[in-house]
Amino acid sequence: MGGLLSYFKSLLGSREMRILILGLDGAGKTTILYRLQVGEVVTTIPTIGFNVEQVTYKNLKFQVWDLGGQTSIRPYWRCYFSNTDAIIYVVDSIDRDRIGISKEELVSMLKEDELKKSILVVLANKQDIDGAMSVAEVHQALGLDALKSRTFQIFKTSAIKGEGLDEAMEWLSNALSNNK
Amino acid sequence: MTDAKYFTTTKKGEIFELKSELNSDKKEKKKEAVKKVIASMTVGKDVSALFPDVVNCMQTDNLELKKLVYLYLMNYAKSQPDMAIMAVNTFVKDCEDPNPLIRALAVRTMGCIRVDKITEYLCEPLRKCLKDEDPYVRKTAAVCVAKLHDINAQLVEDQGFLDQLRDLLSDSNPMVVANAVAALSEINETSSSGQTLIEMNAQAVNKLLTALNECTEWGQVFILDSLANYTPKDDREAQSICERITPRLAHANAAVVLSAVKVLMKFMEMMGNDTEFVTSLTKKLAPPLVTLLSSEAETQYVALRNINLIVQKRPDILKQEMKVFFVKYNDPIYVKLEKLDIMIRLASQANIAQVLAELREYATEVDVDFVRKAVRAIGRCAIKVEQSAERCVSTLLDLIQTKVNYVVQEAIVVIKDIFRKYPNKYESIISTLCENLDTLDEPEARASMIWIIGEYAERIDNADELLESFLEGFHDENTQVQLQLLTAIVKLFLKRPTETQELVQQVLSLATQDSDNPDLRDRGFIYWRLLSTDPAAAKEVVLAEKPLISEETDLLEPTLLDELICHIGTLASVYHKPPSAFVEGKTAVRKQLPPRQNSVGSAEEASSGSPPAPGQPTDEQQPTVIPVADNLIGDLLSLDISAPSTYQAPIPSQPQPVANTAAMDLLGGGLDSLLSDTSAPAGITSAPPVSSSGLLGDIFGIGNVTPFYTPAKQVWLPAARGKGLEISGTFTRRNGQIYMEMTFSNKAMQAMTSFAIQFNKNSFGLSPAQSLQVQGPLQPNGSVDSSLPINTKGPVQKMEPLTNLQVAIKNNVDVFYFSCLVPLHVLCMEDGMMDKRVFLATWKDIPAQNEVQYTIENVNYTADQVSSKLQNNNIFTIAKRNVEGQDMLYQSLKLTNGIWVLAELKIQPGNINLILSLKSRAMEVASGVHQTFELILHN
Repeated sequence: MGGLLSYFKSLLGSREMRILILGLDGAGKTTILYRLQVGEVVTTIPTIGFNVEQVTYKNLKFQVWDLGGQTSIRPYWRCYFSNTDAIIYVVDSIDRDRIGISKEELVSMLKEDELKKSILVVLANKQDIDGAMSVAEVHQALGLDALKSRTFQIFKTSAIKGEGLDEAMEWLSNALSNNK
Repeated sequence: MTDAKYFTTTKKGEIFELKSELNSDKKEKKKEAVKKVIASMTVGKDVSALFPDVVNCMQTDNLELKKLVYLYLMNYAKSQPDMAIMAVNTFVKDCEDPNPLIRALAVRTMGCIRVDKITEYLCEPLRKCLKDEDPYVRKTAAVCVAKLHDINAQLVEDQGFLDQLRDLLSDSNPMVVANAVAALSEINETSSSGQTLIEMNAQAVNKLLTALNECTEWGQVFILDSLANYTPKDDREAQSICERITPRLAHANAAVVLSAVKVLMKFMEMMGNDTEFVTSLTKKLAPPLVTLLSSEAETQYVALRNINLIVQKRPDILKQEMKVFFVKYNDPIYVKLEKLDIMIRLASQANIAQVLAELREYATEVDVDFVRKAVRAIGRCAIKVEQSAERCVSTLLDLIQTKVNYVVQEAIVVIKDIFRKYPNKYESIISTLCENLDTLDEPEARASMIWIIGEYAERIDNADELLESFLEGFHDENTQVQLQLLTAIVKLFLKRPTETQELVQQVLSLATQDSDNPDLRDRGFIYWRLLSTDPAAAKEVVLAEKPLISEETDLLEPTLLDELICHIGTLASVYHKPPSAFVEGKTAVRKQLPPRQNSVGSAEEASSGSPPAPGQPTDEQQPTVIPVADNLIGDLLSLDISAPSTYQAPIPSQPQPVANTAAMDLLGGGLDSLLSDTSAPAGITSAPPVSSSGLLGDIFGIGNVTPFYTPAKQVWLPAARGKGLEISGTFTRRNGQIYMEMTFSNKAMQAMTSFAIQFNKNSFGLSPAQSLQVQGPLQPNGSVDSSLPINTKGPVQKMEPLTNLQVAIKNNVDVFYFSCLVPLHVLCMEDGMMDKRVFLATWKDIPAQNEVQYTIENVNYTADQVSSKLQNNNIFTIAKRNVEGQDMLYQSLKLTNGIWVLAELKIQPGNINLILSLKSRAMEVASGVHQTFELILHN
């Protein structure tokens, strides 16, 4: 019976989920986007601006926005915040020098009113490279303990190898369905 | 949470509604919203606040939506320069879209976004599009390069887009070629350097000619225009280009026809006038021009303005076509007036009867302006075609009989000219003219009538009464009438002194005492003094024989005409003004007709693009031009006193012998150092050592048999082109310093001051080391020498030929441009002596293909003499060897830019021809060095 209900629900509420992929430049956002969409690694160039693609995962439709991470573009992230269901925050686990900046950006972003109800997924990317920070380290460095009311989860991923993304999407789609 | 929320925009109003619609999930709704935004934008509402939201709609598969967003971007990117960066990625993606239409759309829009911050990101996509497989994308990208150049010229050069554009000239698709040509010529015109970017060679021209036949009409215009800027190597090439262009004359588009005419007119200039080819081309040019006159009035007008130029340059083309220029009753007035002008230019003995009949018809029309011009035209015909003068005069008399006021007045004005042209022939009509005295109310007509009365006072019995009647209202008259009246009464007095003494005193006192006009007063005083001191002399001066006026009227000045011929089919040809006169910031090099190939000028001069040598079109029996009517009276009056048209220019200064120049330099150098010591403290640091050693050097120079060779001065700027300023000059080198020696001669009527000089970028970075020193104002007929030290620190740009130097001279009159050739030996450094071993190693090191051999003929010196002659000019002999009776000299020289040239000179006893082998790493200088050897050894 529940299955039937959810079937109707999915028919009626066929609204596309709006997801932002954010993070510093070079974290792997565009690679992740296309990994999700077409399932393979594409060669990317720094995104000056944005990419937007439709991603379907387990019958759920997402409209995924991948915004450029350059310092000059970060101020414009806020233009995309409204009606956002989830944020995928990508961290370059090998870039210990800038993890601090990454944290600042994340913290100031989460303060925004418009993102109050958005679900947060943090991806500790580039785990395929030796010497990458572990999930715990990233968790620590981003100060995620301080998050109280937000639904969030952190995953270790490697966009190049396609590891961890499935788990993250699985969790995300569940969280989004529960949220409704 | 911050207080920023208080500043966020209200959630009400149209903008907010649009915003939420733009962010809607439904594509249809989104598209509608963007349409609404564009509509608001079009009517002038500011919707720039929606920039981020509209940009977010950019990535869509819907072409319609994409186009709308692009439209919005072009409009508002400038007002949101920071935010515009968000659009970059989409451009990058769209430039790789599988659909060529989208690729082209993206590249076109990119070019329209004039935001500095994002241009650099757009280079990569542009580069890809320039190499796109689809011609539509390539041709769009070509234009984008021109747009980008306008925003950031440096970027375009650095990114190598110009080379890519040049490659597109040989594209397989004619539309791409046409757009590439268009883009390159646009860039050319706006680039500050003024240097041509399209290195045109026979091959490139060939490609353009092939593309010409296949591309659209506007593409053809671009190609033809750029062909017009090309100078063919020789007659044969010009001829073959002309042959391939001729079919364009039959094109339906007037712009194509005019551009083709321009190319043909330019290239015909290169060929001899009498060749069969030119004759046949002349025949072919007439029909297309005639056809242009059957289009709508506006096009006709443009065509007529151009034809006016063409007729002045080559009257032969349309001499048979008089009839097409006959005025139609329904022509607009501007077309009528222009046709009339051309009719007069074409009038000749063969067609004068027809023309006169027409003109007479026109003189009875209703439009006043047209009638006036027609009457004037009859007068001009009389002056131009002597055989018709009588008929013209009788026609004019008939017209006077009509008593139509303005017709009478115009007729009197032209009859005055006819009297000037044919003295003592038609004076019988004076009585008729006098009958109409009272009806004249225009100053010009009154002045003309008064002139006639004064000139023929002895035949008019009541001349004194007539003039007296004018005198009553003297102060109310226009100045030209007053001046004319003064002169006429003086003439009358000289002819009939007894009865008119009172009258002349009256007019002189009116002119000198009661008038504020200085011209009138001064002329009054001159007459007064002349009459009171020596009446006989006064008679000789005032009643002197007047020079005949010439037949051609209102001709454009020949150099201007030549320039305008190069601009046929542009606004310049309609205005009859050079583009620099009406395009702001347009200082680019003026276009000139190519020099005629078979003229005397040396081949070098021709290829350097230097202006046609003086004595080409200008000297061909140049008629004295009758100035426009307004000035006429004034000029006639001044002719009474002196005759400027017979003014003879003084003979240009003779080239001086070399030894003399050295002596002169001695003085010049001394003066310079004195002056610089007192007047220019800044110059002291460099001046004293140079000048003092300069003195010594020159003293020795006098005793020396063969000093540094300074070529004789050449005329660089003929007076005809310099508004009376003639500049001749040469280059020399004293004590390690290059000097430009110039003689300025003033052949104009007024003093010249405030001279300044500037060089264009050139191959050796020559630039003036100090400002140009010209002592005092340069009085008419005076000339002054100036020596300008030159350094080599200026900007460098390779010129063709290498030693070409473009110079601009400014004075209080205007700015003048000329170009001259710098003899290479003044650029040879004093430290150009290479060490023997280095020489040997270098000689071996330079590959054999960098060796060229020349024969220097007719040298009657021994090896030692040759060696010392060259040594004086900084070409150093490093070693001398005798091989089988031949003397071999091994020499080196170093140019100011560090280029070394090694030479081997073979001298055979009893043979007056030397063999010169040159080796250098930069072979461009070889021919220049060869010429230098020639120059030094033959002087």
